[in-house]
Amino acid sequence: MTSRLGLVGMPAVALLLVSGVLGVQLAHGGGKFEPLHSADPCVARTVTSQAEGIDALTENLVLLGLDGAACRLGVSREALTLELAQTGPRTDAEIDALRQGLLGAVSRMKADGSLPEASDLVDEALDNTDLNPLVKAAIRALPDSVVNAAVKVDDVLNRTINDLDLRSVLANLDDQQDLNQQMNAAVTQAVKDSLADRFRNLL
Amino acid sequence: MRRAVPPLLALTVAMVLADSAVVTLALPDILRNLDTTVGQVAWVLISFNLVLALVAVPTAVIFGRAQPRIISAIGIAVFAGSSAACALAGSIEVLIAARCVQALGGALALVGCLELLVAVYGERRGVTVWVTAGVVGTAMGPVAGGLLTEAFSWQAIFVVQVPCAVLAVPAALAVRAAPALPLDRHRPAIRPNVTLALLSAALTAALFLLVLLLVDGWRRSPATAALAVSVVPVAALASRPLARLLRTPAEVEVAVGCFLIAGGLAGLAILPSANLAWTVAPQALVGLGLGLTVDRLSSQAMEMRLPRMHHAGWTIGARHVGVVLGLVILTPVFTEDLQDAQVPAQEAITSLVLDAPLRPEDKIAVAEALGQELSEQQGQVPDLHRAFATADLDPAARPAAAQLERDLDEQLERAATRAFRDSFLIGAGLALVALLSVLASIVVPPRRVRS
Repeated sequence: MTSRLGLVGMPAVALLLVSGVLGVQLAHGGGKFEPLHSADPCVARTVTSQAEGIDALTENLVLLGLDGAACRLGVSREALTLELAQTGPRTDAEIDALRQGLLGAVSRMKADGSLPEASDLVDEALDNTDLNPLVKAAIRALPDSVVNAAVKVDDVLNRTINDLDLRSVLANLDDQQDLNQQMNAAVTQAVKDSLADRFRNLL
Repeated sequence: MRRAVPPLLALTVAMVLADSAVVTLALPDILRNLDTTVGQVAWVLISFNLVLALVAVPTAVIFGRAQPRIISAIGIAVFAGSSAACALAGSIEVLIAARCVQALGGALALVGCLELLVAVYGERRGVTVWVTAGVVGTAMGPVAGGLLTEAFSWQAIFVVQVPCAVLAVPAALAVRAAPALPLDRHRPAIRPNVTLALLSAALTAALFLLVLLLVDGWRRSPATAALAVSVVPVAALASRPLARLLRTPAEVEVAVGCFLIAGGLAGLAILPSANLAWTVAPQALVGLGLGLTVDRLSSQAMEMRLPRMHHAGWTIGARHVGVVLGLVILTPVFTEDLQDAQVPAQEAITSLVLDAPLRPEDKIAVAEALGQELSEQQGQVPDLHRAFATADLDPAARPAAAQLERDLDEQLERAATRAFRDSFLIGAGLALVALLSVLASIVVPPRRVRS
């Protein structure tokens, strides 16, 4: 025999069960369990590094530079990174955006005081060069104030970024040795050019 | 022996209907073992359901005048032989062909066993046992398949069916039952069968997609997935005492069941995390709904309708048309969604690697290993553990790398869960359409069947 409880009870129990389950799930983030969304690359991001010295500087520059380049290209930092990780030709727009992004990163680090002084990097830089040991010793003997006055890190970085063949750098991402050689040559040349300019200005 | 006859016949019915989804959890193993493609391996599932859907009614019509014990015995024997052929299949083509023959034998066995169970138990109880065995088999299929695959191999699924079926052949021959009446006195019950088809399509989302999400998306073992989805059959069994307690009219019970299935599938679409515990309540809703609907609808479609065999053929056909419909609708949706999920997943992984508290050289090592692994595992949710195990990392960086691996795994789980969302929602939509058809039958009641 059908009871009133049967007619109303079961639909009521079902409604209660379904709304209860869905309600609890939604309250615990149901429907939002999705992959991380990429952050807007045009919004300034705070970057940190576990490395020290030149490695930390390079990492921070690359992370901020990627943001700047992605912002210019109108894509996410992650999409640009995945695109740059692929082999194949780079467009002029990508290369230009990357260069401008890196230059913007130097400006931002200079502005917020996170750019190290030349004296903080000189020992590590000398270790990586093949200069005459006597020259290295002479440079190391210079007081920090002299080194900092002679070499401006932002100037060296800007020169390096402007002179660097970014297409070639991106093509050599898989070859660490080749990449290091390329970077060392570009930085050394930038230091030389920077010093020469400063001497010219003094004269 | 005589006391073992009815359970063996019920077991045969459960086994044949379990075969509808029994290979779901074994598909990844079959894919690897038979060196085939995802598209082909899906046919191991589709072929059985499609053939059963197509031959159920013709089988009942053609063999309706034959001795039920003879057609049951032949059907069970063909089913046993083709199950053995499935287990021995060395190629995907042979396996699919054997599955087709298995469905042919299964169709004969199902319609024959109905008549035999009615001969043993009488009309009402016989039909109830036949229907209940089918519901239990359908719900238990993925669980049994998952456990057997994990414990032994995918072939074990078919091997265990052989002795059960072989024992059922003499059991079928032992029952004296008269052939069904030659005249088709009642037209097929359209509404219950249409509702059954729609619900079967919706249940495909629960039984088929959920195990795929657990095994391929969340990378749980087949045994873990099998245990997780056992909530559905347990809840289905629990639904009967609940219905008896509330003494609900059959139509209301079916409507409530459709609503519970829709609610459960909506719950599976909005899981808050990849913790298995979150799947329990939505599955319980689906199981309760399954228990309230499928046997009621099958009974409505067959009750007092003669010849029974024809109407049994219609319900089997409707259920398996529904399964095929579900697979045809849902498979392209979730495969495309899985494809689309790759980009956000890759970007999330890239973001976490870029911002990971690792030294630059360790980040590069992880990125290289991940890139290698991802390119090798195209087309499936990747296992990132090997990338972290093989990456050349500073030992001091291992704890941070382990945390990064956990974070990346969570991103993959998030991407997979998101990819299955639309398919579960479509399943919920199908259950709601079934609910509408039930509500329509409540508003405009079907004409009573003249016996």
